[in-house]
Amino acid sequence: MKRVVVLVLIAILALTAATVAAPRRGGTLRVGLNADPPQMDPHQSTAAVDRQVFQNLYDKLVDVNQNLEIVPMLAVSWTISQDGKVYTFRLRPNVVFHDGTPFNAEAVKYNFERMLDREFASPRRSEVNLVTNVEAVDPTTVRITLEKSFSPFLSVLSDRAGMMVSPTAARARGKAGFSQQPVGTGPYRFVEKRPQERIVLEKFDRHWDQSAGNAQQIVYRPFTDENARLANLRAGELDIIDQVAAAEVPRLRTDATLKLAERAGLGWQGMWIQVQSGVFSNKALRQALNAAIDRRTLVRVVFGETADPANGPFPPGMFTYNIQANSRIPERNLDLARQKLREGGQPNGFAFTLKVTPGRVPSQVAQVIQSMAGEVGIRVNIEIVEFGALLSQLDAHRFEAALLGWSGRPDPDGNIYGFFVTGGGLNNSAYANSRVDSLLDAARILTTADQRRRAYTDVMNALNDDLPYLFLWWPKDYKVYSPKLQGFVHISDGMMRFRHVWLNP
Amino acid sequence: MTRYLFRRLLLTIPVLFFVSLIVFSLIALIPGDPARIMLGEEASREALDVLRRQMGLDRPILVRYLLWMGRVVQGDLGRSVRDGRSVALTLAQKIPVTAELAVTSLLVAWAIAIPAGALAAWKRRSVVDYAATTVSLAGISIPNFWLGIMLIYLLAVNWRWLPPSGYVEPWVDLGRNLKLMIMPSIVLGTALAALVMRLLRSSMIEVLGSDYIRTARAKGLADTTLVVRHAMKNAMIPVATIMGLQLGGLLGGAVITETIFAVPGVGRLAVESILTRDYPMVQGVVLFAAVAVVAVNLIVDMAYALLDPRIRLEERA
Repeated sequence: MKRVVVLVLIAILALTAATVAAPRRGGTLRVGLNADPPQMDPHQSTAAVDRQVFQNLYDKLVDVNQNLEIVPMLAVSWTISQDGKVYTFRLRPNVVFHDGTPFNAEAVKYNFERMLDREFASPRRSEVNLVTNVEAVDPTTVRITLEKSFSPFLSVLSDRAGMMVSPTAARARGKAGFSQQPVGTGPYRFVEKRPQERIVLEKFDRHWDQSAGNAQQIVYRPFTDENARLANLRAGELDIIDQVAAAEVPRLRTDATLKLAERAGLGWQGMWIQVQSGVFSNKALRQALNAAIDRRTLVRVVFGETADPANGPFPPGMFTYNIQANSRIPERNLDLARQKLREGGQPNGFAFTLKVTPGRVPSQVAQVIQSMAGEVGIRVNIEIVEFGALLSQLDAHRFEAALLGWSGRPDPDGNIYGFFVTGGGLNNSAYANSRVDSLLDAARILTTADQRRRAYTDVMNALNDDLPYLFLWWPKDYKVYSPKLQGFVHISDGMMRFRHVWLNP
Repeated sequence: MTRYLFRRLLLTIPVLFFVSLIVFSLIALIPGDPARIMLGEEASREALDVLRRQMGLDRPILVRYLLWMGRVVQGDLGRSVRDGRSVALTLAQKIPVTAELAVTSLLVAWAIAIPAGALAAWKRRSVVDYAATTVSLAGISIPNFWLGIMLIYLLAVNWRWLPPSGYVEPWVDLGRNLKLMIMPSIVLGTALAALVMRLLRSSMIEVLGSDYIRTARAKGLADTTLVVRHAMKNAMIPVATIMGLQLGGLLGGAVITETIFAVPGVGRLAVESILTRDYPMVQGVVLFAAVAVVAVNLIVDMAYALLDPRIRLEERA
């Protein structure tokens, strides 16, 4: 008898759940972005905000789920050869691009050729440059060969490098033309883009996943002012916004009229230190500065609850987070700082220039560091440099210290390799350590999570001693949305995937 | 009049040439590599070189300038290096938006400033005068971004009288278009009104003390007729100059106001283009702004002749 009652209860529960969760079709989803996406072609895009629109305009070969695990998208399954060099993808059949072009192995081959073409100068080239051959075995099978084993490869394909553009449209329209009229296979097709005003997408009726695309239209509008963005959401002009000012978060938690989604992000933030020349070529002085900084206080003062103090490139949520040298936040130690100053031959402290980008947050961080370092006699001159100019100076290693971070990638490799490998494209510090190099390379070949974690443990121990970068905080990711928006799944990469959301009236 | 106009138009050519030369060299001098900004932090040196070559950045600046100038003379403003859009087409989208905002802002400014200025001069050292002066000072002193956010919170979020920000073309929905223009026009208009009001007040005081006004008053004309019909016209001459400069400035775009109210105008286009080192787009915007200022000033000069017949535009033979 009891069992029957339980079964009936379960049935009722399932029934009500089904009625509550039944997605509603139609309506226009209005999205507030924090910047105007400049590019609509994933193979030409560099701005992070472009990817927000791409999530719904394009499909990728694979995607990541909430646990950052790789899941099928355009590829339904795949096998990797023993030596880790050959990836064979089984592609989803009966998929078409928005212009009617069939999606198949030849289309995948074309997309890789496009990214690898020197003259096309795609920013994706550096992500896929290990690819030596792409073979269309049959219409639904594609075999990709790499120069050497590269375990983060699938993760790379879960982002812009895995987004497939229509070969017909790309060939016919050329480089500039395609970004005006982009064509993918995603659940939404491109309608129009007016710079600094709006981007409009419309439901694609022939999408392979018939359960995707509940809203009829998506309209993206850029609001660079964070107050204006939130005000528009409050006034009912938007349904969801990306990112919110730290000061608003506590109030939004208790706000019954809006929903706040919070998740650990994938990025890291902190201070580059140029170790090749100048005052910071002296390791003891880098260690002195590090010991003088109180990360917990810094985060509490500037970010409140919207960031976590950091000591490495792997934020919570990544499988490498628990490496002790990454997750254990060092205590401030002024005695150690003074001792290191003496070791470095500067017992009375020294001065250096800290470059920061314009804006409230970088200035506040710099001022907190300035006052903390000042207590042991380290004098920090803060210099505000416009973003483009700062990139050039970092490239040329023309700086002593600079506040700049990284938006993050789902695989740990994307958060560490290029930044600390000798001669790496993102190695602003000019850091060179052959042991770190071989460990980073090893982590790319190793396939199990345990092996990779061990390699990264050794890397982190070396980085925490050498300090080419002071990891200071891991920002959290926020979305705020109207209760009308249903079914939204918040993933750490911060990308808003709208294929299965719907709007209640 | 025609000869004068022709001469003035001819004079604008060297002005525009120098403006373009200065802007071109200034942008080239800003540190920051456009190829790096476009390709992002991860790009390899090789990819950067390819893009620099494609963008013509490997050529000397003088060659780049001459090539650009040669195309502009033929009416081709080029394409954005950021997304390949035609500069002329993008400007054509943005200019009407900024022009509408400029006109509505000036209307707000005049609606406040002209009556307030005249009244303050007429009732000099009265409560009205002091009130007008105080309000106008407040208009100048309140920062645009603060007033903008305050208006949004009060009028859009709290009372829901107006949509908070954005833009709709007038031919799509005229009512909504005008509603959206109200708050940005108030923000820009109040700041402009202060200057116009102060200037009109002092100019009016001077005119009211002149002989012909005293004569008119002696003839027994009513005060209102005196101020509105006789004094106003003369008092407006210096004010017209300022209004012209203001209109020219507004057409160049109002960056902060456009950002807060998400108005997709020339100002935001300019800022985003500068930040991304989109040279052709910056050149296009600046050229337009310069043309706008020159043209408006020309119109103002001609308006003098209408306001004051004593001002002759043609040189005496």
